[in-house]
Amino acid sequence: MKKLITGVAVVFGLIFPSTFTIAAPPDDTFVVGLPTDTIGLEPAQISSRHTANIMKHIFGQLYSVSETGSIDPNLAESYKISDDGKEYTFTLKEGLTCHDGEALTAEDAAYSFNRVADEDLAFTGNSAGFVYKSIDFKEARADSEREVTIVLGGPNHIALGLIAEVYVHCKDSYEKMSKDEAASNPIGSGPYEFVKWDKGSQIVLKKAANPPIPTNFENVIWRVIPEASTRTAELIAGNVDMITNASPDQVEAIDASSTAKVAKVQGTRRMYVGFHQGPEFAVTPGGAAIQKPEVRRALQYAVNVPAICENLLNAPCTRMTGIVNPNNAHPNLEPYPYDPEIAEYLLDQAGYPRDANGVRFEITLQAGEGRYLNDKNVVLAICQYLDDVGVKTNCEILDWSAVYIPLIKEKKAGPMYFIGSGGATWSPLYDMADLSAPDSGPNYTKWMNEEWFKGWKVINNTNDEYIIRREIDRMLEVFYNEGPWLHLYFQPDFYGVSNRVNWNPRRDEKVDLFNATLK
Amino acid sequence: MFFYILRRIPQTVLVIFGVTLVTFIALQIGGDPTYLFVSERASPEEIEETRKMLGFDKPLHIQYLIYLSNLVQLDFGDSLYYRQPALTVILETLPATIELTIFSMLIAIFGSIPFGILAAIYRGKWIDGSLMAIAMLGQSIPSFWLGIMCILYISLNVSWLPISGHVPFLMLIFQGEFIQAFKNLPTTITYLILPSFAVAFYSVSRNARLIRSSMLEVLSQDYVRTARSKGLSEYIVIMKHAMRNAWLPVVTIIGLEFGFVISGVVVVEVIFAWPGLGRTVFDAISNRDIPLVQAAVVVISLFVIVINLITDLVYAKLDPRIKL
Repeated sequence: MKKLITGVAVVFGLIFPSTFTIAAPPDDTFVVGLPTDTIGLEPAQISSRHTANIMKHIFGQLYSVSETGSIDPNLAESYKISDDGKEYTFTLKEGLTCHDGEALTAEDAAYSFNRVADEDLAFTGNSAGFVYKSIDFKEARADSEREVTIVLGGPNHIALGLIAEVYVHCKDSYEKMSKDEAASNPIGSGPYEFVKWDKGSQIVLKKAANPPIPTNFENVIWRVIPEASTRTAELIAGNVDMITNASPDQVEAIDASSTAKVAKVQGTRRMYVGFHQGPEFAVTPGGAAIQKPEVRRALQYAVNVPAICENLLNAPCTRMTGIVNPNNAHPNLEPYPYDPEIAEYLLDQAGYPRDANGVRFEITLQAGEGRYLNDKNVVLAICQYLDDVGVKTNCEILDWSAVYIPLIKEKKAGPMYFIGSGGATWSPLYDMADLSAPDSGPNYTKWMNEEWFKGWKVINNTNDEYIIRREIDRMLEVFYNEGPWLHLYFQPDFYGVSNRVNWNPRRDEKVDLFNATLK
Repeated sequence: MFFYILRRIPQTVLVIFGVTLVTFIALQIGGDPTYLFVSERASPEEIEETRKMLGFDKPLHIQYLIYLSNLVQLDFGDSLYYRQPALTVILETLPATIELTIFSMLIAIFGSIPFGILAAIYRGKWIDGSLMAIAMLGQSIPSFWLGIMCILYISLNVSWLPISGHVPFLMLIFQGEFIQAFKNLPTTITYLILPSFAVAFYSVSRNARLIRSSMLEVLSQDYVRTARSKGLSEYIVIMKHAMRNAWLPVVTIIGLEFGFVISGVVVVEVIFAWPGLGRTVFDAISNRDIPLVQAAVVVISLFVIVINLITDLVYAKLDPRIKL
């Protein structure tokens, strides 16, 4: 028996080293740890931020949004808009190539835009859905070897930024592939070429022979590591260079390590509590109360947003002044301060004094669980703050995908609901487009304010930047005073970054590795 | 035996039918998944168009009949997320799960046998007490916690084993790349040890207790006393005479265990970033990728049915009193 045990130990010792070390990534390779795998590699079908982040390294766009919010040339070097504002003509840079070795021409760009709209291919997601509907895409055509024109249904002030969300792919290769093949064999036009995708494990890219924009690392590997603590362990061990969605409760552990630090950034996702204005909720006491702008304004003072950020999100944050991200916000509006006394005073004035039980009115606040940073606890805290000023709040925490999202999308969540809405740094109008029309998809509150929607008519009928900005500011004042949102915060994002590399996060949840360097 | 296997086929078809029906109903209870496949700012028209494209606009019974008619042609439909045939996605991730399951089962079987036997032989002694205390612990610790602790102390602190990830072996074998597969094997095993241990620790503990009690019963039998009185060594008595009968309840448990291990690997695959079927199903359920979930459930059911069939056949082989 002893001989057997010794034999097994010797064999085991020969096969496996006494300490196992995975080599840190080579100097020319940047490794990212992601919580989820890509949802396919079809450039025309993108419905998640992680997928878009991978795709933007494989595929170029005509123009792309920079981290500061400027819209910069990418595959195109310039563009012009027709007098009627319906045609955007882009001139491609010279000498572009597809990853299949063919020259990248205007025909490829036009094909890419038309392919997204191809009804036979039935694409869904961001480009085929939101982008094309927003710009009322009609067609794309190649005017010459380097000029491609995108035709819209009408003038649109945010068209350029939306066109920047469409990825250019290579006609010859895509025409040869079936829909199934195209979903896992991306032939791109961007700075990195696709090497392989081990489903659920990793996506490997290498620098393209002729990258359209400069980039530093020769290889990029996107590793899928679903569990937050495992991602943290891989980062601390030096096996990955950057992790997204670092868990706030692991910030201390990462910062205490000698190998990595946490980079916190205030994101562009606007977190708010919606006040449903529809008649279906107006029959309830709470629903009726929040129909009054005075009550909505009073409740803005009742919630201590900085305390929520500090204690529940583990990051300081700026309270929203409205619907627009700070760099594009109204310059003179200040965030509502936390002042429960003012809240109580305004509620008294609005005709909602405390009754014998100390209650002004009862209301329900619905929320989904597991989608946003510490969402459940944030919602419970908001309910408690509202309770404190006499608004008896029934917190309903629901399953996100099965229950809450259908309620939200059908505009049946309420009378109050908690949600986040993705925003942007590149245009205030993009953020405001949540409420582009009374019946717009994301107008979950059914807010019908005439002053607000009148503003869109003014903006859509002028190209004068001054008039547009003036109207935006007027609309933001309306939103500040009478808006259907209880302003909360811009959701902070946490990235773990290895000390081996220089890499800075962006505010808009987009991940760029082009400027990353080795220290 | 052949006729026994033939008799099991209609049962299998019935089970699969039941599984598809239950899965379909369970997934539909979760509501219309269309909302997860539209952009954040989708308009009502866009939502309706997407619903039609995905086929969720049809009545439920029609959706189910379409699914069944495709299923008999082995068409599981396309994954809504990967936009590839669901069966392809499953077959790509299945080998990693089979690796994990087999390795876990090996640990569960060969880890529990010595523990169970030692505990039985040294009944009432400190060895028995210690082993049974460990077994009790093993049955109490959740696999996800054990997995995280293993990562923290074995991988991160002392760097004995990798933290997470997977190096393929079986997939390469299926693809005919034998040389690369066997080159990978030592590394594959180093990546397998921690997740397999996290999956198998519960089973080792339970099986060790089972083997102990089974051995205690067998060791008190007359034929064991006879074997000892004939002067056979204790090793021969235990391994040749006692163990064969002590195995019978264990074999039954091992058969059932495959189902348990496959369900147990879901959490462990998530923790160790193991790109297996369990995690694919977990993600598909979260993403409401109905065709993928249905295909995975059918494949897992078939897997468990086949393993149970093999268990029955092995049981009959071990116990001549059983006729199939």
